Amino acid sequence: MSIQLVVFALGKEEYGIDVSAVNGILRTKKFAVTSIPGTTKVIEGMINVRGKINYILNLRSKFGLESKDKGEDSKFIMLNVDDANTGCIVDEVTDIVKLEEADVQSAPAYVCGVNANFIKGIAQIDNRMIIILNPNNILTFEDHATLENASNSILINS
Amino acid sequence: MATYKQNSMANEVDVSNVKLSDVIDIAFLQNFQDDFAKGVGLASVTVDPDGTPVTRPSSYIRFCRDYTHSTEIGDKRCAESHRKGGEEAARTGKPVVYECHAGLIDFAAPIMLEGRLIGTILGGQVLTGAPEEEKYRRIAKEIGVNEEQYVEASKEARILSKASIEAAANVLYIVANSMSNAAYQQMKLKAVVNTLNDSAHQISATMQELAASAVSVSDNQTELNSEIRNVNTVTGKIDEVMEFIKDIADETRLLGLNAAIEAARAGEAGLGFSVVAQEIRNLSADSKQTVGKIKELTTIIKESVDKTVSMGNSTTATIEQQAAAIEQVTASVEEISSLTELLNELASKR
Repeated sequence: MSIQLVVFALGKEEYGIDVSAVNGILRTKKFAVTSIPGTTKVIEGMINVRGKINYILNLRSKFGLESKDKGEDSKFIMLNVDDANTGCIVDEVTDIVKLEEADVQSAPAYVCGVNANFIKGIAQIDNRMIIILNPNNILTFEDHATLENASNSILINS
Repeated sequence: MATYKQNSMANEVDVSNVKLSDVIDIAFLQNFQDDFAKGVGLASVTVDPDGTPVTRPSSYIRFCRDYTHSTEIGDKRCAESHRKGGEEAARTGKPVVYECHAGLIDFAAPIMLEGRLIGTILGGQVLTGAPEEEKYRRIAKEIGVNEEQYVEASKEARILSKASIEAAANVLYIVANSMSNAAYQQMKLKAVVNTLNDSAHQISATMQELAASAVSVSDNQTELNSEIRNVNTVTGKIDEVMEFIKDIADETRLLGLNAAIEAARAGEAGLGFSVVAQEIRNLSADSKQTVGKIKELTTIIKESVDKTVSMGNSTTATIEQQAAAIEQVTASVEEISSLTELLNELASKR
């Protein structure tokens, strides 16, 4: 069976997310991000997409990478997970690729680790190595918790 | 340059064209000659190189004036005698004392300029001892005048020692020569001053032309600089347009990506559409590449313009330095001009 990946870059590394988990891609410079108080650094803030509030994750913070300001090519990849309108900032969406499931190697447990079970596997296309993320696990329980708390407090206050 | 050379030729003093009257004021010479003749008791007259008198005779004695010169033969013999004396004086370049055809003692003092005779002061009509009657009777016969009266008149000639005559001739020689030589040097000086003046005017005129052309070069350069800056402004505008096109390319790419995602989600039904989406992304990539190339070109243009502007600025600086130099030269030339005017005044004084 073949799968299609939306491939994006964060620093030097390339990551992939299954197309079916992606709602769409937005250019960051078209949206203003409103930060949400009381959330961790992983929660970048919220944006208004056609009248709907969407929450934005900072994958750099989540992956423990060096933080970087949004650039000309930065994108929001909007995810289709748990009915939550959530997206994440990436440096650049580089490609949409189609590959066979056989080309994907699952990562060993010591790589995926306890905290890192958002890594589904590694895909190899020519010399490129693409870290395939598990969209369902990108939002960990803790992130969810802080986000829900924040949303609740905003609701209560309003 | 050609005119300059002509001018310098015109200003040169040609010694072969200098006449006695050019270097000695004849009226002054007449007074001097009259007073000298009266004071020393020697007759004198000044003649040009042809023997033609340029002054009136001073203190001629009756023997000469009324008798010797009264007949044609006498007059001729006098002229011949003067010519000989003058020639001898010119040859030696010194005053000579000799006996004239009528037996009187005469002198000839040459007036020389750079070895060339311009006139002679002739004089004398004296004797060094008492006149011999026989000699004057003979001469009276030869030139055809009354013998008795001629002999009588010969007794009126003053008797002076040869040394006194030589000394008197020497005085006239020294005064006339130093006067005419001084005047001649002054003439030469004036000619040089005139040449100098002409040159100074020439330089002055050329400097003015240079200054004018420097101004026009400077103006042109300023205009050129502002035109070139216009190119930079236009290039900046092209960059703005390129930015806009790049933005459209980015937006198109996003459209392609989103279309691909939608196509993938549609499964089998979206296969055809995914090809279209891929084409859209390719197109946007091409557009973006083209924008990059154009931007490289505009960058090159900008660099060229910047270089040209900086070269233009250094040209302007050089022109300013030149203008300053021209101004300095002009000031110096003006100083020289005023000096030559002063020199000219000095050279014109007699």
